[in-house]
Amino acid sequence: MRSIYVVGIVVLSGLSLLFAVGIIYGEATDQWFLGGGFVGALLIAYSFIVLLLRQVGLIGPRKTER
Amino acid sequence: MTQTLKVVGFICDWSVDLAPLSDGGRLREVPGVRVIRVPCSGFVRPNWLEDALNRGADGVFVTGCPYGDCLNREGNFLMRDRIDQLRRRLQRRKVDPARIGMLAFGLHDGASFLAEVKAFVDRIAALPPAPPARAAGRAAVTQPAQASEGERP
Amino acid sequence: MSTVATGQASGRYARLMTSLLRGTLRLDVLVNKLYPTDFNPLYYTGGLSNLFLFTLVLSGIFLFFYYDASLGESFASVQYLTDRVPYGGIVRGVHRYAADGFIVGILLHLLRNWFTDRHLFARDNPWISGMFLLLFAGFIGFTGYQLVWDERAQLLTSMFVAMLRSIPAAGAALTRLFIGGVGISDGTLVRILFLHIGPATALYVFLWWHYVRQRHPKIWPPGVWVLFCVGLVFLLAGAVPVTRETIPAATPAASPTRFPMDVFFLIPFWLLNFLPAGVVVLLLVALFVGGLAIPYASRRETPVEMGVRHSGVAQVIDGNCTGCELCYYDCPYNAIVMVPSPGPGLSKAAANRSLLAVVIESRCVECGICIGACPFEALELPKFLERDVLRQVGEAVQA
Repeated sequence: MRSIYVVGIVVLSGLSLLFAVGIIYGEATDQWFLGGGFVGALLIAYSFIVLLLRQVGLIGPRKTER
Repeated sequence: MTQTLKVVGFICDWSVDLAPLSDGGRLREVPGVRVIRVPCSGFVRPNWLEDALNRGADGVFVTGCPYGDCLNREGNFLMRDRIDQLRRRLQRRKVDPARIGMLAFGLHDGASFLAEVKAFVDRIAALPPAPPARAAGRAAVTQPAQASEGERP
Repeated sequence: MSTVATGQASGRYARLMTSLLRGTLRLDVLVNKLYPTDFNPLYYTGGLSNLFLFTLVLSGIFLFFYYDASLGESFASVQYLTDRVPYGGIVRGVHRYAADGFIVGILLHLLRNWFTDRHLFARDNPWISGMFLLLFAGFIGFTGYQLVWDERAQLLTSMFVAMLRSIPAAGAALTRLFIGGVGISDGTLVRILFLHIGPATALYVFLWWHYVRQRHPKIWPPGVWVLFCVGLVFLLAGAVPVTRETIPAATPAASPTRFPMDVFFLIPFWLLNFLPAGVVVLLLVALFVGGLAIPYASRRETPVEMGVRHSGVAQVIDGNCTGCELCYYDCPYNAIVMVPSPGPGLSKAAANRSLLAVVIESRCVECGICIGACPFEALELPKFLERDVLRQVGEAVQA
């Protein structure tokens, strides 16, 4: 189970790298809607990375809500 | 082994649905566990848990709603903090912290609740036996007789 | 609740509410399998709405600086913002989709707290303020659609004026107030701009009212959901740009008859297809008043009727209270206040007290959290006393 999560984190990290490249591409070619959309995709990828990190146990719950 | 253990559970009215699980104040599947219904997990005073242990219970636990979903907003968070304090306090008196438990399960989580209670009882069963029941004297605040009944003249 | 209510609940409304409660909690069990409980979005619907509101405020401030409120210029200024300003179209899309998310979050929050009975008895304050928040949010969304001043806005304005006119006695005066004179002019757009921003500011006043009876309100969702929701809003703004629906600018000559629908804000105007304006106004008023009445008019008014434990309002035992403030800090509803002590207590610990705890009865929900907080035996639930609990403990240990 843990290894599945780790694979997921690696895949999502790769994806978010792609999205970051997309942001730069959108900015360079003045396609603002493309760039903005990739910002959103990047944030969503980050949210799933955070979720997987939580499932693996690397980040705990907030202290007040442990 | 688990049959001889006495475990007292304080269970919130709004958490696990006890109707299919319990029978006259006992869990059907784990007969050593006696349940006491309380209006909210935050209602339980840590003194009472200590008292139950002093009177010869092998373990006590409190069950509330899932964290974040307490009907009364934060009763289960508060209870968890109080139980942490109680564990530290009792540890100094050589009471094993494993004898005190805090569980959190919703209305439909009966199966996971039973599994968790069984694991809790098994952990206690593996511990060395508790010291015999002490006198039920309570190291509480001194107060005049009947003060809490409101019958003072 | 679990054991008692299902047996005694009678009446169709009560049975329906019980099954809805069970359904909501069943859904929680499923979501908790996917997300840990501290990440469960259903536990943070209020925080999610607040997050969307924050996004709206930030993007709205950006849009405000480019907006020109006049009949001739407003559509052109929105066009300029969308096409020429870097990422202007994205911010406009974020403002639009965050508004949709705001309404969805509010409705989820409303339904969840309704179905899990968190609006009853002493807890009506957040419900009433929440109805006002919902009303204002809907009105702000409607004025937001008008600000663009395209043909949809023009049609919406005439429909809204028809709705205002249908109000007996006050209709004509309200119409004059809303459009600022007899006809639509530059002043109308200035008014609409104010009616967009003013109520949005008022939302924060209502939020204060919403939070005022709660200790430690959960006003922000967990980080994973902040990332997800902001990301989703940006993704939608990029993938489904607001310029996808090309609506021409409003002109006095144009008489549009149809416009692209929006299910989140424009449903009352869709109803105008089938019903006369007066009936729609009546329906909206009835919805609002009915919403305000829900905590009081439902059949499950009293705990006895609901079949839940009725423990009675917590009572302070004067002689034992030491004024330590522990119950005051732990009460989730701010129902306990500390007052200067009129005299020393009876027990040794209470002899030197300077404060005394007092329970405000109308705020107490009888949960007993203060009893657990008090180490001095100075609080009791009148119908479930400490000695009852200790007797049960004794029986459990002896048996």
